[in-house]
Amino acid sequence: MTFFRSLAAQWAQRYRKMSIQMVLSLSFTAVAAAGILLMGVSFLWRFSSANEQTAAENSQRILAQANLSLDSYLRRMMRIADTVYYRVIKNTDLADGSYVEALGLLYEENRDDLVSLAVFDSRGELVSAVPLAAMKEGVRPAESEWFQAAFQNMENLHFSTPHVQNLFDDPNSPYRWVVSLSHHVELTRDGVTEGGVLLVDMGFSGIEQVCRDVTLAKGGYLYLVDSGGELIYHPRQQLIYAGLLEENHRAAAGYRDGSHVETFQGQTRQVTVKTVGYTGWKLVGVAPAESWLASSQFLTFGLFLLVFAIFLMAFLNFLISARIADPIRRLDRSVKALESGQDVEIEVGGCYEVQHLSRSIRSMVSTMRHLMDDIIQQEGQKRRNELEVLQSQINPHFLYNTLDSVVWLTEAGQQTEAIQMVASLARFFRISLSKGKSIIPLSDELEHARHYMNIQQIRFKNQFTTNIEIQPGTENLYTLKLIVQPILENAIYHGMAGAEDDGRISVSARREGDDLLIDVSDNGVGMPPETAASLLNPDRPVMQTSGSGTGVHNVHERIRLTFGEGYGLTIFSEPDEGTRVRIRLPALTREDAARCQQEGDVL
Amino acid sequence: MKTRKSGLVEIALLGGLGLMAVLTLTVPQHLRDHTPDALLSLSVLLRDTDSSGWNVARQGMEQAADELGAELRFLTLTVQNDTREQEEILRREVEGGADAVIAVPADPEALHGVLDRLTADCPLVTLEASAGFGTPFVAADHAEVGRCLAETLLEDWDGGEVLLLDTSKACPEVTPRLKAALDVLTAAGVPAERAAPPDTWSDWRWVMAFESAATRQAAAAKENGSDSFSLYGVGSSTAITALLERGTISAVAAWSDYAAGYLAVEQAVEAVRNRPQTLTPLPFSIVRGEDIYAPENQKLLFPVTS
Repeated sequence: MTFFRSLAAQWAQRYRKMSIQMVLSLSFTAVAAAGILLMGVSFLWRFSSANEQTAAENSQRILAQANLSLDSYLRRMMRIADTVYYRVIKNTDLADGSYVEALGLLYEENRDDLVSLAVFDSRGELVSAVPLAAMKEGVRPAESEWFQAAFQNMENLHFSTPHVQNLFDDPNSPYRWVVSLSHHVELTRDGVTEGGVLLVDMGFSGIEQVCRDVTLAKGGYLYLVDSGGELIYHPRQQLIYAGLLEENHRAAAGYRDGSHVETFQGQTRQVTVKTVGYTGWKLVGVAPAESWLASSQFLTFGLFLLVFAIFLMAFLNFLISARIADPIRRLDRSVKALESGQDVEIEVGGCYEVQHLSRSIRSMVSTMRHLMDDIIQQEGQKRRNELEVLQSQINPHFLYNTLDSVVWLTEAGQQTEAIQMVASLARFFRISLSKGKSIIPLSDELEHARHYMNIQQIRFKNQFTTNIEIQPGTENLYTLKLIVQPILENAIYHGMAGAEDDGRISVSARREGDDLLIDVSDNGVGMPPETAASLLNPDRPVMQTSGSGTGVHNVHERIRLTFGEGYGLTIFSEPDEGTRVRIRLPALTREDAARCQQEGDVL
Repeated sequence: MKTRKSGLVEIALLGGLGLMAVLTLTVPQHLRDHTPDALLSLSVLLRDTDSSGWNVARQGMEQAADELGAELRFLTLTVQNDTREQEEILRREVEGGADAVIAVPADPEALHGVLDRLTADCPLVTLEASAGFGTPFVAADHAEVGRCLAETLLEDWDGGEVLLLDTSKACPEVTPRLKAALDVLTAAGVPAERAAPPDTWSDWRWVMAFESAATRQAAAAKENGSDSFSLYGVGSSTAITALLERGTISAVAAWSDYAAGYLAVEQAVEAVRNRPQTLTPLPFSIVRGEDIYAPENQKLLFPVTS
């Protein structure tokens, strides 16, 4: 029991590791092999059964034929006996004549089959005999089995078992084997009847001739036994008599007429029995098992055919299962690729269920992608909005400082500068609002920058000069709003920190192919290239404090979130040389700007 | 990984399929082409000038040859028990390509010596007498034959000396039979003399012969003369059976010559085919004259012939 459990567990473990194709192949092949095996065994059984039946019928037919011949022979012997009795013995009075002449004629007529004809009286004394007339000394026929049988059963003819005739004195001592037919007769002597026995000794050759040439299939043979199982004829009779061979003749004598299967000395054989009429003898046909069982050649051929069929089935099953399993395997591969983050197309194929499954997975993947895109976009928009909000917020220090400067200018009586400063501040705020639009004309953006620089120049008492240049034809291009001011702010607070009336900040805008480039340069203190690069590092922590380059980074982020990875800022800087910040944007026309604005609103 | 494995399985299945197709087509044909064993040529060398005394044995030999696929050549001598002639015939037969030789040896050791000197590998099986040196021979247990025959004589013995006919010169198998009989008689206190067949038999009341020729010779002497000795002999031929029936011979040790012939051929064929069998001594019976028609004795003494 434990063994079977362990086996089942092993199979279950193997099953879990098997591919669907292998499971299908093995299952189909196992079922097919079982079917083929069952059919093979069934066929073999039917074949053997039919062969056994045929062998039995053949044996019975052959035995029937042999029986006819033997019956004919025995009837001839019986006719001889009848002839002797009714035509010779009954017509002859021993007081007047002898049987010798008539017996001699009958003997001569049938000498091929007869050994002797003899008549004995009731005491066993010889009355007449041919061809030999002298009896051996000491022979007592009355004690013979054939003599006593004739007297015991007077009406019938009696056939003895084969024996060596020992009645007559033959100078050549031939010692012939005979079968004796004895019959009770009534002898007439001087008008008085008395009992006697007629003895017809049949030569063994007659019976041998009937049986000898009868052969059954595959070395089968025929033999003859009497009702007691004593052998009368056997093709290897002398070997049996010599003790070199054994035959199951005594058991065969007990069989009914028909075919029987017996095992004798380890050999299975079919024994067919036919009783010979009148005598009670039995013809026994023996056919070896090979005559009806499939031969080793047939079995070998069948076995190879069976294995061939199983291999063929295995091969076909393998191909069929591959066809069934391939779409599932491809689907499995696609799902695995998806799991590993690859962007693959789910292939739809195979049978209905697999197609349905593939479509469902494809639909699910598509929905998932859209959701993910939406999330990404929403996240981007959210981030952009945050940045824009942050960007659009007026630094309180800037507002305080500007208003403080206006107060100071007013008190100092510098009405013109105060008015100019307030006007620039008003204009600055108006462009900052831009009716809530995020994309504004380049001219407005640069206008915004100019006003900012005006305010800062007044505040910083013209420690630096500002120059804004715009390439003709680019004025009508559109840009993200409030992207120049934070850079200018950075240039003022960091680049111009140590300037003494020689600071110079320039802004230039030009078109390069499909891009719009806005360069903000200063001749300030500059910074190491590593520091410049770190300002735009995406992993840089978000800081909202002034003077930490947050504004520059936010501008860079806003541009990239709006227009993609190919756009944004590039910072070129060398210590004591100055800094140039390049803004790269797509060259947007009015229509492009409107579309972008619309998409941004929707989002 | 799976694809590679599937490919290997596919190739293995295709290979198996191909192999099975070839085997299915060729193996049954190969089995059917199995040729039967070739007919063997066996020479049977007798020590007599004619084979009439071996008729029954010959029938057994022919039955075995027919069943086992052999053909027989019976060869007799021009002079009875001529050892040199038998050696010459044996040499000629072996050199002539006989597959095996069955011999009733006149001189077993000489016969074996001839075979030893020949380079050809030819199995020898002897009847009646052993050629020694492990050569298979088919015969009854000689000593047991002599002993049983002597015991049969003792059942009848009522005084007088027993003559043990020593014909070992012509029949080597006589020696062990005679010796065993002599031992039994001596042990029983019966006077016995070992001698060649005498010219006059009248001096003896009891005679024992240990081979069929001597038995016939003694029986003939008894029937032709007025001597009335009791004769105990060996043999199962028709002549001896007739003598037994007539009372000339009191009892014989008899065995089936048919079985002897059959077994000799069977042994020779199996030796050629390298399947030697273990031989056991032939069973024998002591048959008295009054018992010859007992069913078992009929089967032993009278061959079934048509």
